[in-house]
Amino acid sequence: MKVVVCRLEDFPEGERKIVKAGPRSIGVFNVEGEFFAIRNRCPHQGGPLCIGRLSPWAVASGPGKVTMDGPPRLVACPWHGWEYDLETGQSFMGPGETRVKAYEVSVARGDTLEDVRQAEADVRVPAAARAAGREPGPYVAETFPVYVEEDYVVVEV
Amino acid sequence: MTVATATEAIDCDLHVAPAGVDTLLPYLDEYWRSYIDDATIRMGQAAYPMGAATTGAAPAGNHEELTAVLDETRPRRAILSCLALDGVHRNPHYGAAMATAINTWMRDEFLERDERLRASMVVSTLDIPAAVAEVERWDGDGRFAQVLLPVRNDIPYGNRYYHPLHAAAHERGLPIALHAWGRGGNAPTTTGVTTSYLEDYASNAHIAQTQMMSFVAEGVFSELPELKIVFLECGFSWLPPQLWRFDKDWKGVWREVPWVKERPSEYIRRHMRFTTEPAQLPQDPEQIAQVVAMVGPELLLYASDHPHEHGASSERLLASLGDEDAEAILRGNAAAFYGGSIA
Amino acid sequence: MTQLEDQAATKQVTRRAVELVDVDIHPVMLGPDMARRLPERWGRHLERYGRRAPFVTDLYPRPRNKGMRADSWPEGGIPGSSYELLREQLLDEHDIDFGILLCLNAHDAGYEHPEYDAAINRVVNEWIVEEWLDRDERLRSCISVPYDHPELAIAEIERWAGDDRFVQVLLPAAGQEPFGSRKYWPVYRAAADAGLPVAFHTGGYTGHRGAGWPSFYLEEHAGYGVVMQMLLTSLVCEGTFAAIPNLKVVMTEGGALWAAALRWRLDDAWSQLRDEVPELDRLPSEYIHDHVWFDTQPMEEPDDPQHFLQVVEQADLSDRLMFATDYPHWDFDTPAQSVPRGLGKEQRAKLLAGTAIELYGLPTHVDRA
Repeated sequence: MKVVVCRLEDFPEGERKIVKAGPRSIGVFNVEGEFFAIRNRCPHQGGPLCIGRLSPWAVASGPGKVTMDGPPRLVACPWHGWEYDLETGQSFMGPGETRVKAYEVSVARGDTLEDVRQAEADVRVPAAARAAGREPGPYVAETFPVYVEEDYVVVEV
Repeated sequence: MTVATATEAIDCDLHVAPAGVDTLLPYLDEYWRSYIDDATIRMGQAAYPMGAATTGAAPAGNHEELTAVLDETRPRRAILSCLALDGVHRNPHYGAAMATAINTWMRDEFLERDERLRASMVVSTLDIPAAVAEVERWDGDGRFAQVLLPVRNDIPYGNRYYHPLHAAAHERGLPIALHAWGRGGNAPTTTGVTTSYLEDYASNAHIAQTQMMSFVAEGVFSELPELKIVFLECGFSWLPPQLWRFDKDWKGVWREVPWVKERPSEYIRRHMRFTTEPAQLPQDPEQIAQVVAMVGPELLLYASDHPHEHGASSERLLASLGDEDAEAILRGNAAAFYGGSIA
Repeated sequence: MTQLEDQAATKQVTRRAVELVDVDIHPVMLGPDMARRLPERWGRHLERYGRRAPFVTDLYPRPRNKGMRADSWPEGGIPGSSYELLREQLLDEHDIDFGILLCLNAHDAGYEHPEYDAAINRVVNEWIVEEWLDRDERLRSCISVPYDHPELAIAEIERWAGDDRFVQVLLPAAGQEPFGSRKYWPVYRAAADAGLPVAFHTGGYTGHRGAGWPSFYLEEHAGYGVVMQMLLTSLVCEGTFAAIPNLKVVMTEGGALWAAALRWRLDDAWSQLRDEVPELDRLPSEYIHDHVWFDTQPMEEPDDPQHFLQVVEQADLSDRLMFATDYPHWDFDTPAQSVPRGLGKEQRAKLLAGTAIELYGLPTHVDRA
């Protein structure tokens, strides 16, 4: 299931967006030009993972000797602080640790209107929500003016 | 299930003590002999008042007295601990001199006379370079099986202050042994003093937990990856909830200590051991088995802790063990932990 | 009928059983509010001299969202300072029937001049009544007291004991002396005689610990239970429970499962050393069971959930545990998720509400709109 998030130009580096795909809430992150999407629910106790702090790896060569390594690709749950790698969903602590579901994000170049409408239709939206004029998460397609020339950020769910 | 007996065990905590300060005078130079005389220093027993049931009796003070103990307990090996240095509180030079005196006395009085015996080397923590020099002094004498420190001190043992001492021990494959009691003058609580011996006695376990966490949080094992720590007479039944707590908190706060790269409990299980006395266990045998399983029998090292009497829990512990666990706790774990010096 | 009464009468009110009591919630009073409410001398003192105690957050900075849930910051305030946000995020979100407030603004006011200490506690209690208890029938509170000055603490207890929305007296986990000391017994007696348990909440003067000061927040936090062990050891060994038979205490935010080994430790010690403490005429574990309750936050999480259940049984805790969220702190326990699986239905009900209802004399049923 593809969920359209927004236009690429509306999603600058360092930002994040939370989208709904059916009953699921998903956080999409632009980390230095790379996109990641992760379920917005910490497997520990259900906290809103995707509003948590983003940090790079803190790598210690010894006590007190720490460098911050690479882009900020770890998201910390705003509740208990458990951290997850945006790419794999893995909390890095060791074997058997809880894994968050990570979703593949792709940028679809030159998608047609039909493609996007199909993506919309793929989203399982309850009839009641449609009737109320509410779309749970996907960017409302009709606000795209001339989007075939644009790059869209699309989430594969 | 056989009732495990402690004969032929490796006894990891057996106490000796000089009968009085006079015993150590031959091992001190003229200056320190006159210092002791001028101040009328007596060997203190604050940690083990003679009227307290937990004290049991005076520790063996010489080879004959110890032999009488060994004839009863019949260990395969015994590691002797002398806590007399705990009585030196503040003067770092006196501490260094007494450390050498105590170690030399133990060698002459015990190690030279009975090849079953090993000893805990004492060092003064008031002067770390002097402590390192003491470790170096005994290079080559493999009968000193570990470096003994009191569990109570001014600064937690993971702190950088102690690093050269830990490094010296690590270099020689010597465990650091933390024994109950120690530095006087600081309350064994968050602030104020305890008014009863009962409370003071129960406090060793609390202090041990703080020390345990210090080694891990300070990253001692990242620089000294083979360092071994053993807790003597501090109990062990408090371990499981404290390990769960430590692991859980680390997951949330690891960025404060990114040199701690595994769960704290992994470090503790790999690097630390705990003697069986005091056992401090429930009455119910099924619950005892639960506790041993949660702690992990591989962490436990048998100790008679002679002459101390902590109650009946250790008997119940030994009675609860199956053959395999009994073998590990009575001998195997210590053999693996101490390696060549115990063999 | 007035319009309001009419509205109230037409609101659908149902009677339902109380199923969730949260026994550790932290409202926070903002500095300007406190300054405004203090008597002139102490308002001026606060303005000129501030507070003397080093904040524990300065001793051990919390590099985890400043120690708070990152989503709990109200506009223009700090976590816990907004009733509206707390109501929304906690009371309403989790359908809490009763919540007990522990305001820690005076937790280390013992460093101050005794009258300043007393004044701070007084305004905290007044503020709690006006801004919290009067606004929400679900809320109850502790009486915050200047614990290191017993006469002043007793006066504060007497001031509020008649308001049954105050359900316990609040102390930290460590004061100038160990809390088993006789110095504090008059405070405990006053609480007990007023039918109020005494809650000891993590915090206060947690200094040397017999081993020296730790370096890291990780050690401090993971050591909360160790401090509680020291505290409970003091209470038992000093004979506090023997001397004050109607005293009930609640170990708050220090965990609970450490109590199993502590009971064995003290029982063995007493079995050998009871001649030193003849006023302790029962096993320490019996005193602990009769006098001590625990809240569950932070909930212990062993790898094997069975171990949790085993230790609860070993420590005889099945009717001594009370659920708490510790909102808005970062290590907050969610009601829905944090209670261990495998806890029997009955035990779960006791943990989530039953034990607290009994201890605090809360109603078993409420009428709610």
